[in-house]
Amino acid sequence: MKKTHILCLLGLLIFAFTGCKEKEYAVPTPKSGLQNDVIKRSLGPGIVGLDMEFAYAMALLPEQGKLVSATVTASIAGATGTYLDNKFYSTNSSGVEVGTVVGSASVNSGNATTVTYNADISAATLRYFYRIPEEARGRDVSFTFSVTGSNGETVSYKMGPYPIRRMELKKGLVVIDPTTSYLSIADMAVYDATFAAANPTKIDLIYLYRAITGVTFNHALVAPTASAEYRPGISLPAGLNNKTKMIKAWDVRDQQLVIGSAVATSVFVDDVDLEQRNFTDAPDFAINTRAESGIWLETADGKYRAYIYINSVVNTATSKQMTISIKRLTMK
Amino acid sequence: MKKSLYFSLIFLAMFTACKKGFPVDDDGLLITTRSDCYVSSFEILGADYQTVRSKAAVVDTTAQTVNVEVLFGTDLKNLYPQFTLVTDAKLDPKIPGKVDFSDLSNPKQWTVVSGNRKVKKTYTVYLTVQKIN
Repeated sequence: MKKTHILCLLGLLIFAFTGCKEKEYAVPTPKSGLQNDVIKRSLGPGIVGLDMEFAYAMALLPEQGKLVSATVTASIAGATGTYLDNKFYSTNSSGVEVGTVVGSASVNSGNATTVTYNADISAATLRYFYRIPEEARGRDVSFTFSVTGSNGETVSYKMGPYPIRRMELKKGLVVIDPTTSYLSIADMAVYDATFAAANPTKIDLIYLYRAITGVTFNHALVAPTASAEYRPGISLPAGLNNKTKMIKAWDVRDQQLVIGSAVATSVFVDDVDLEQRNFTDAPDFAINTRAESGIWLETADGKYRAYIYINSVVNTATSKQMTISIKRLTMK
Repeated sequence: MKKSLYFSLIFLAMFTACKKGFPVDDDGLLITTRSDCYVSSFEILGADYQTVRSKAAVVDTTAQTVNVEVLFGTDLKNLYPQFTLVTDAKLDPKIPGKVDFSDLSNPKQWTVVSGNRKVKKTYTVYLTVQKIN
């Protein structure tokens, strides 16, 4: 019995001493051979005309060789503006990103974009910007990132597929009361009364600003069919009769519709949001619309559904206007 | 000795099984002893989930009415009324989504049911729209 106790005590002592042993740090051994990795930096749905951004990291031990070239091959050739940055970036003491050139400016050839490295580069992370082309609308796009080393080795990394949405995007339209206050969703453009009179079927919305005593009217978007009380003081050109259905929205500050960095959000309006929106019983007017609010709409013929984001509003003595951005989906 | 122990256990199980639980109603909500039955406040939101009231709603617990004025240009077909009730009370019918208030001549009614589910009071919501002076 006593022996057992002594053995247990010894065991505990050994455990205690080994448990307190300090583990010394060892520099990790880097992997041999050419290495690569990719992350997608941009968020939100892929929309034609916008960029998808990736960061492609690659490295080779200096004693094994240098980087020779990096290539990104897209399944659908990128639009003009697609490039692989020839700099890697670090952040300086002020928090500002500083680029260091590591190779020649990228060259696009068909679906491939290539940077050829300078002579002495062993590791770099390059940014790839894929400008989504019209051909990709409604299709999937995928990417193969590859790097070649001076040791003759080539490694690659596949990303995707990423579905490209059917929707279209237009930013920074300015509607002004009373000069250019007629909005066409089909054209995603703003027109004056003369154009509206000549092309009445194209006009889906009219912008107006009114300061009316006793009520909160302010900035409004109304369909041509809206009751006259919702468009006071406006004599519509003949033939305007599109009954555009509208649903007011708040807190849908789409990151892709925001101009500048005034409003940082992680909200994105996607195809499915427009497809599944129920416009039954929706009115044909939206009174008292505010900056950073929005409007879901469906055109009278049901061909288009859209989300209008109101970037900013101005109502000074000399100017009544609204800056808007639109995501539009063709329904039929 | 063992037999009597078994019998005692069976009796104990019977008694504990018969212990009365907390009463709940058809909605699975606890029925309490409270008989208070009234609306304490009222809110109404538009399609953008922002208030459309032009001023505070007036709740009259004696007349059992709610009078609320909404902003000019409010879409009356797509509104979300919100009732705040006295503790333990519930509303009938429930409000699962948007409500059409466009028929102003036929005001909507909801019944408040007290916590003990024995008192019921029907409130009428009178909605008016802000007018241009």
